[in-house]
Amino acid sequence: MDVLVFIVSGTLAAATALIFAAMGELVAEKSGVLNLGIEGMMATGAAMGFVAVSLSGSYTVGFVAAAVLGCLLSLVHAVLTLVFRADQTASGLAIGILGLGLSSAIGKSYEGRTVAGLPELNLGPLSDIPVIGEMFFQQDIMVYLSIALIFATWYVLTRTKLGLVIRAIGESPENAHALGLKVRLIRAGCVGFGGAMAGIGGAYMSTAYTPLWAEGMIAGRGWIVVALTVFGTWIVPRVAFGAYLFGSMSLLELSIQAFGWNIPSQAMSVLPYVVTIIMLAVISRNLAFIRLNSPASLGAVLKIS
Amino acid sequence: MQRRKILLSLAAAATLALPAAADDPMKIGFVYPSPIADVGWSAELNAGRLAIEEAFGDKVETFFVENVPEGPDAARIINQMAAQGADMIMLGSFGYMNDGISLAERRPDLTFIHASGYQLADNFSNFQSRNYETSYLVGMAAADVTESNTVGIVAAFAIPEVVGMINGFTLGLQAVKPDVTVKVVWLNSWFDPPKAQESARALIAQDADVVYSLYQDTPSVVTVAEEEGVWVINTSSDMKEYAPNWLLASQIADWSNYFVASAQATMDGTFQGEAFWGGYVDDTVDVKSWSSSISAETMTMIESAEAAMRAGEFHPLTGPIMDQDGTERLAAGEVIDDASMSGINWLVAGVETRIPQ
Repeated sequence: MDVLVFIVSGTLAAATALIFAAMGELVAEKSGVLNLGIEGMMATGAAMGFVAVSLSGSYTVGFVAAAVLGCLLSLVHAVLTLVFRADQTASGLAIGILGLGLSSAIGKSYEGRTVAGLPELNLGPLSDIPVIGEMFFQQDIMVYLSIALIFATWYVLTRTKLGLVIRAIGESPENAHALGLKVRLIRAGCVGFGGAMAGIGGAYMSTAYTPLWAEGMIAGRGWIVVALTVFGTWIVPRVAFGAYLFGSMSLLELSIQAFGWNIPSQAMSVLPYVVTIIMLAVISRNLAFIRLNSPASLGAVLKIS
Repeated sequence: MQRRKILLSLAAAATLALPAAADDPMKIGFVYPSPIADVGWSAELNAGRLAIEEAFGDKVETFFVENVPEGPDAARIINQMAAQGADMIMLGSFGYMNDGISLAERRPDLTFIHASGYQLADNFSNFQSRNYETSYLVGMAAADVTESNTVGIVAAFAIPEVVGMINGFTLGLQAVKPDVTVKVVWLNSWFDPPKAQESARALIAQDADVVYSLYQDTPSVVTVAEEEGVWVINTSSDMKEYAPNWLLASQIADWSNYFVASAQATMDGTFQGEAFWGGYVDDTVDVKSWSSSISAETMTMIESAEAAMRAGEFHPLTGPIMDQDGTERLAAGEVIDDASMSGINWLVAGVETRIPQ
């Protein structure tokens, strides 16, 4: 039972950083801008969040600082791709590398330090329910906010005018422009939102999930986010499902190892990646459906004056 | 034409023969695999660099590059150090070995010391510490404090050094308590702090009340243990400040003597490539910050085992030792030899998890 509690409660926390960054990336991609710099933005957010929490002692300050810096970094990407019409892939990669370097510079004198982790919310009687309480109601506030973010992203993208505008711009920026929509401004807003969420996701890693700063601690999670968005075929619930699946598989892997089952650990280490890719590929195997949901202008250079 | 060629080669010979000016400081380059923090593997190697500076003053000039990934970047940085006039280069990670040895072949005028590899050349040494000795001691302490009789190990890779440490640790456990369950989680990564923390939690969820952090360069596992209230043992540098209540002990390695001796040999021109394997006998390994919760009785056993190892009279892997499959690896009274120890690829009976093959 302890193991089950560990996996379920751990999954919620493990997926939180992925959810924040993935929802941000999803919105940016829906507007037609591919951002491959997520890894760097998460790293920068992690360093900035950690330093801010260390200095101020306030988690709010930490998350805000991380969001602002992540947003600024992504706006560089927005300016390059939307104003100067740079290639989205190249620009995203470059900004990502810049972000990794920036994270190292910001966190330099904090290398290997720790902070107290973001405390768990006390939900009173709910937290005291045996098993269920331990699984779902002994989490920090960001876990619940990430779940709220999933619903908010889904609602805005599919049920509001703003969502329609974002999707229209992602499908055909030229037509949206002709309709009088402010394509560049809205795209920049979506990219900035994506960067801010990546920053928060990174800060969650360094101040709540693993409350320490070490260069390289994001360890590829930003790339997982990019992959989740694509394999989840740009549909909010699928991307969220992918994030939870990935989180639970990575914890299951460790639990199985600890059980002492005789499975080669290298094979176990690839389990989260393989299972997540297979699952998402299987539920998204309908090609027509993928075409319907993938933003048609994703990655293309903007062709409006 | 012919004359010019001769002149040129004469000039070249003259430059080569020119001895380095006596007051020119010897340059020593250090390559670290991770950022130098307050604690950790690179911090420990860096302490060796500072010891060289202290010992030789302005007769040496040291420089370092940290956080160098194994692979093409390492090759570039090592070659660049040689081009910058380094006389000696310290390579801080296993994966720098092939790039280091190929440079050593091209540049016989340089000397190299390489952490944890197996390659040797006249100007290329490798160095390791006999951490299994201290693993044995902290194993005894772990057996003393465990109440659930389950101990969890978060280990990086199943390389011989790590396998040897797990064996030493388990034998130390068994010397105090015969039937403790040892669970291992292999990370298959030297550096992934979030995964190290998840692993520690996975082990704690399966009843481990002592966690052994094997080569996690950050306080990842240590902070989880402090938070969850389980005992923790750390490798490579003391992490007492990260777990003031629950740190059972820290295993450390002190490279100062070896680094200073290697620099001296390079300076004197007497450097000879060798495999240095330092243990208690040569003051390379030690345990710091023993917890006061360890019973006096066990502490006495630990101290006598330590004294025996310092005197070179005791090896943790002394038979009879069975492996996980029940095969007898060492007969009663038989001591493992260094060659077998440095390539050890089996775990002793009592460890529940298998080595990834």
